[in-house]
Amino acid sequence: MESRQKPAAAVLPYLLIFPTLFFVSVFTIWPTLSSLVGSFFIQRLNMAKYRHPVFGGLGNYSNLLGDPTFYQVLQNTALYVLISVPVSIILGFLFALLINRKMRGIGLARLALFHPTVLPMVSVATVWLFLYTPDYGLFNQAIRFLGYRGAQNWTGNPDMALLAIIIVAVWKNAGYYMIFYLAGMQSLPREVYEAARLDGAGPVTTVMRITLPLLRRTTLFVTTIAFIGAFQTVDHVFVLTSGGPSNASNVLLYYLWQIRFENLDVGEASALTVILIAVLLFFTVTNFLMSEREERADV
Amino acid sequence: MLRVSSLAAALVLAVAGAGLFAGGQPEKAAVNGPVTIQVFYPVAVDAPIAQILNGYVTAFEKANPNITVKPVFSGGYNDVKTAIQTTIQGGGKPPALAVMLATDLYDLINAGYIEPLDSYLGKMPDKSGYLSDFYPTFMSNSEFDGKIWSIPFQRSLVVMYYNKDLFKSEGLGAPDSWQALAQDAQKLTVRNGSDVSRWGILWSSVGLPYWLFQPLAIGAGKNIVGNSDTEVYFNTPQNIDAINYYISLSEKYHATPAGAQDTWGASPGDLTSGRAAMIVHSTGSLAGIMKQAKFDVGVMGIPGKTPGTYASVPGGGNLYIMKDAPQDQKDAAFKFIQFLTQPDRVADFSIQTGYIAARKSAYDAQAMKDYLTKVPQAAETRDVLQYAGKEMSVQDLAKVRNIFQDYLLQAFNMKMSASEAMQKAQTEADAALKAFK
Repeated sequence: MESRQKPAAAVLPYLLIFPTLFFVSVFTIWPTLSSLVGSFFIQRLNMAKYRHPVFGGLGNYSNLLGDPTFYQVLQNTALYVLISVPVSIILGFLFALLINRKMRGIGLARLALFHPTVLPMVSVATVWLFLYTPDYGLFNQAIRFLGYRGAQNWTGNPDMALLAIIIVAVWKNAGYYMIFYLAGMQSLPREVYEAARLDGAGPVTTVMRITLPLLRRTTLFVTTIAFIGAFQTVDHVFVLTSGGPSNASNVLLYYLWQIRFENLDVGEASALTVILIAVLLFFTVTNFLMSEREERADV
Repeated sequence: MLRVSSLAAALVLAVAGAGLFAGGQPEKAAVNGPVTIQVFYPVAVDAPIAQILNGYVTAFEKANPNITVKPVFSGGYNDVKTAIQTTIQGGGKPPALAVMLATDLYDLINAGYIEPLDSYLGKMPDKSGYLSDFYPTFMSNSEFDGKIWSIPFQRSLVVMYYNKDLFKSEGLGAPDSWQALAQDAQKLTVRNGSDVSRWGILWSSVGLPYWLFQPLAIGAGKNIVGNSDTEVYFNTPQNIDAINYYISLSEKYHATPAGAQDTWGASPGDLTSGRAAMIVHSTGSLAGIMKQAKFDVGVMGIPGKTPGTYASVPGGGNLYIMKDAPQDQKDAAFKFIQFLTQPDRVADFSIQTGYIAARKSAYDAQAMKDYLTKVPQAAETRDVLQYAGKEMSVQDLAKVRNIFQDYLLQAFNMKMSASEAMQKAQTEADAALKAFK
């Protein structure tokens, strides 16, 4: 009897993880592997000669590395991620501080800060297309009111286009990160704050010395999803700038889409996919290792 | 949770897709048996395209009881092309018929997606009469390698819309040259201090700038493309002249905002609300502009450099038959093409959508004649046809077009001189096209 039960017990865990394993294999591991293999083949759907894959070694990679646009795209992506992620996280934290209190109309304030999160990015970008309209666009009117007198063609000016998509990303994401911080703040122990107040700590000290350190895990989580999200969301680039003008707002994933679906270069797109996966893997692993260390420090 | 639901959505889509494509298979390969075809169709303008096309399908099925037509509306032109691509790459059967950009010709041939129509046309009683009835401008992207690959369907042109009332009150006639256009635009620009309350002209240069720009190159005397599918003419003196003229509209005449501008979406509204005296746009916006404008709207070709010359380029989509569809479906698809391009139907489609009728005889239809008396601007759009050159279409189109547009905007944004930008564009485009010679 006992020997019969053992294998059954051993099968169950596998059965339970099977759905996950199946989907991860089919939708994550398999595409990754096929991209890796595909990146070594020349395949261009708009060239009769290369309609079917032909082995090309590292040709796709050397093409990419010899392409000045690739470096511009890398630089844009780095700028986009390094600006939009910290700014939206800091704003999210400040918003959470702001609305983490009981007062009349706070529900409305929370709604106002959170609602961009609920909207699909495509709608957000379409709305911003109107806000960015020169002269009478709401955004241009607002900054004129604040004294801005510079150029207003946000999506056509090479010095402003990347900033334009960063602004949209921050506007959309800050409310999302706010929710995590708000949840974190509301679960913090009251006694600590009471003790701080009795010790005469001011609001700034309280935030810096108590709230922020206690919310370290939240920050870590938010940073991870923000980084990955920044690489993965390009809907607003499609709507607002198409990566232009002259690639000034082109980012990695949009460039990948252009190479695959506009230029029909499957091989080069595969190589770029591999590079994108490597970058994401680097961020994820770094973050994971950091969180491991934090956990250990906690114990 | 998010991942699970998106996976579920992907699964549902995949299953639905499989069902859809299974529906497209013929039950039996019988010669005259019932056959079902799919038509992939983009909706690219502000008109009830789906409703209009469904009406045609019903009429067609009544006339051909053994054929069922299933239109599939799947977003814009890019989405249709992507859907077909992924279907074929994934080993599925493509739809028998699709409407795709006329300029996608070479990409579609090289990918082996489309089939020449000559064998179908050959069976028509009056092949040459049928083909010669289409305006040559619209056929210019249908021919390659001595074969006909597509039939023009929903076609448009670049035109200039202008506020005739404003011109009249300033004592101006319609501009007939670059210089007249620039001077009129300067006169019609209204400033209050540093603010501009009305621009003389709005000419969008973000998105697909090559399209609205091409009339300037043609107006300067040399188009950026010719008959060859592997040659482009970016660094010609004429083209550089054209770029400098565009820049002068803001730099010298101060009649349009400086630098690359994304005014595509807003400019029809700017014209009708009086914030712009002239705009360069697609004929596809005619209906919307006519509905909004409280003044006399003028429509004309883009004035050329030499007085009395005008220029334009066509745009829009053609009907293509997909090579890998079963033969009985392809035969049915061609029948549907013939049905859609009957003069009366072409006229009706033009009246309902604002697209330009691609066939000459459509303008003899009574409904069209009545429409042109009511909306004379529609006749003005047709008159622009005679000035239209070839829309940019070459091998490796997306890459070459992006090269051109990237450097064009470098010049518009004064990051490079026009000649430097076009030298570089020419070198890079030549390098890309070399592999296709």
